[in-house]
Amino acid sequence: MPDKRYALVIDSRKCLDCKACVVACRAENHVPLGYSRNWINEEHRGTWPKLLAAFEPEQCHHCTNPSCVRVCPTGASFQRDDGIVLINEADCIGCRYCVVACPYNARFFREDKGVVEKCTFCVQRVDRGEMPACVETCPSKARVFGDITDPDGKLQQLLATREYRLKKPETGNGPQIYYLI
Amino acid sequence: MAKIEWGILIVNYLFLGGLSAGIFFVSALATYLQQRDEAAYARIARYGAMMAPWPVAIGSLLLIFDLGSWCRFYKLFVHFRWQSPMSIGSWLLVFFTLVALVNFWAWLPEERRGAFIAYLKLPPHFNYDLSSWCRLLAAAGFPLSIGVAIYTGVLLGAVQARPFWNTNLVAQLFLFSALSTGCAVLILALSYHRQRLDPNQLRFLYTLDICLITLEFFIVVPYLIHGELSVQAVKDSLELILGGPYTVAFWLLFMGIGLLAPLALEVWEVAPAMASGTPLHHNRGLAAFIGVLVIFGGYVLRYVFVYAGQLSYFR
Repeated sequence: MPDKRYALVIDSRKCLDCKACVVACRAENHVPLGYSRNWINEEHRGTWPKLLAAFEPEQCHHCTNPSCVRVCPTGASFQRDDGIVLINEADCIGCRYCVVACPYNARFFREDKGVVEKCTFCVQRVDRGEMPACVETCPSKARVFGDITDPDGKLQQLLATREYRLKKPETGNGPQIYYLI
Repeated sequence: MAKIEWGILIVNYLFLGGLSAGIFFVSALATYLQQRDEAAYARIARYGAMMAPWPVAIGSLLLIFDLGSWCRFYKLFVHFRWQSPMSIGSWLLVFFTLVALVNFWAWLPEERRGAFIAYLKLPPHFNYDLSSWCRLLAAAGFPLSIGVAIYTGVLLGAVQARPFWNTNLVAQLFLFSALSTGCAVLILALSYHRQRLDPNQLRFLYTLDICLITLEFFIVVPYLIHGELSVQAVKDSLELILGGPYTVAFWLLFMGIGLLAPLALEVWEVAPAMASGTPLHHNRGLAAFIGVLVIFGGYVLRYVFVYAGQLSYFR
């Protein structure tokens, strides 16, 4: 386990804004309507006929130095050795400090349960050797999930051959979603 | 887009926590100041000791009720997370409130203590006389009260995702604002006293508050200057108070009514006494008015910071 580090590479050019990932996440993780663990940012630029519509999926970045874990007063937010950031609901008191501290607004407060939730990289599936639901369902294969420390893995291959960017690296969180450009 | 997670309950809590810390600090200071081997500001010390535990106790209850799962609040004290300002702050609050409560008991006049014990139908040996502990409790409470006041600012300042908050100046600003509001509550308490206003004690509070407000002012100024000279995200976040939705609250309600107006009134009261020894105006109404302005300013400051901070973000 400790020599693994899960990360996500997203080829935003392949994203069609079909939102299958959002639906798959909702179904897999029983996320009620009104909340979302993942979403798609839309950007429209220019005027007709020179138009650009760009789509960029986003969710928890499972940062290497997650500010949400640091500020959590009870240790409910924690990071596994493989990099996945999780919330132990039994210890979450619903103070929402982590929601405020996340630069990506990836966390939300469940009014009905009184606890905070977010993307878990579908840890229940990953531990069975499967892909997260959003990755498996993406029809245009915009999402690639895997172990970023594996030198022969798909992630290293993509990051070595394509330009990529990270979101808001200046916060020092060390985000682990790589956007290919 | 950022949304407001921490609302008015948190504003109230940060204000009340700071208020208690300020009252305790000024009262403890007064406990130690002597003139001709007598306590120079005994009334300030006593009033402060009587009032200090209650705002923070109410504030802590508000904090607990603001939690999504308030019945699990005890988990704060099962785990200690030194990297989380909230974890450190929870422990500080407990120790500070305990010291403030014992200090309250130590300053309670004997007949009130007796009446309290009788009211609760407790055996008379519960009527401990702790009055000899006053100076010890004041000493123990100094670092705790400063800690509570600073922590309310660190709680916000430690969030690097919110550029409006992420500077050490927020902790200093909240500290001096807390001490100043504590001072103001004591000015208010003195002004309500039926007997003639004690010019010495009032002058002490005015002078202390002038120092605190001046410090506060000279933290706000570099906060704005450094923010404007900082990275784009910080500059953008300052737009919230420089033309954005919190401009009026910050400049008119906090800077104008809550900071500079009471400063001017206090200087107007104290300066002639300092320069030529002429007595204070002894105006109860004015003293009460100054107290209310400072308390109002302290509340608005926390309101602006809690709300504007949550709307600031890196692009």
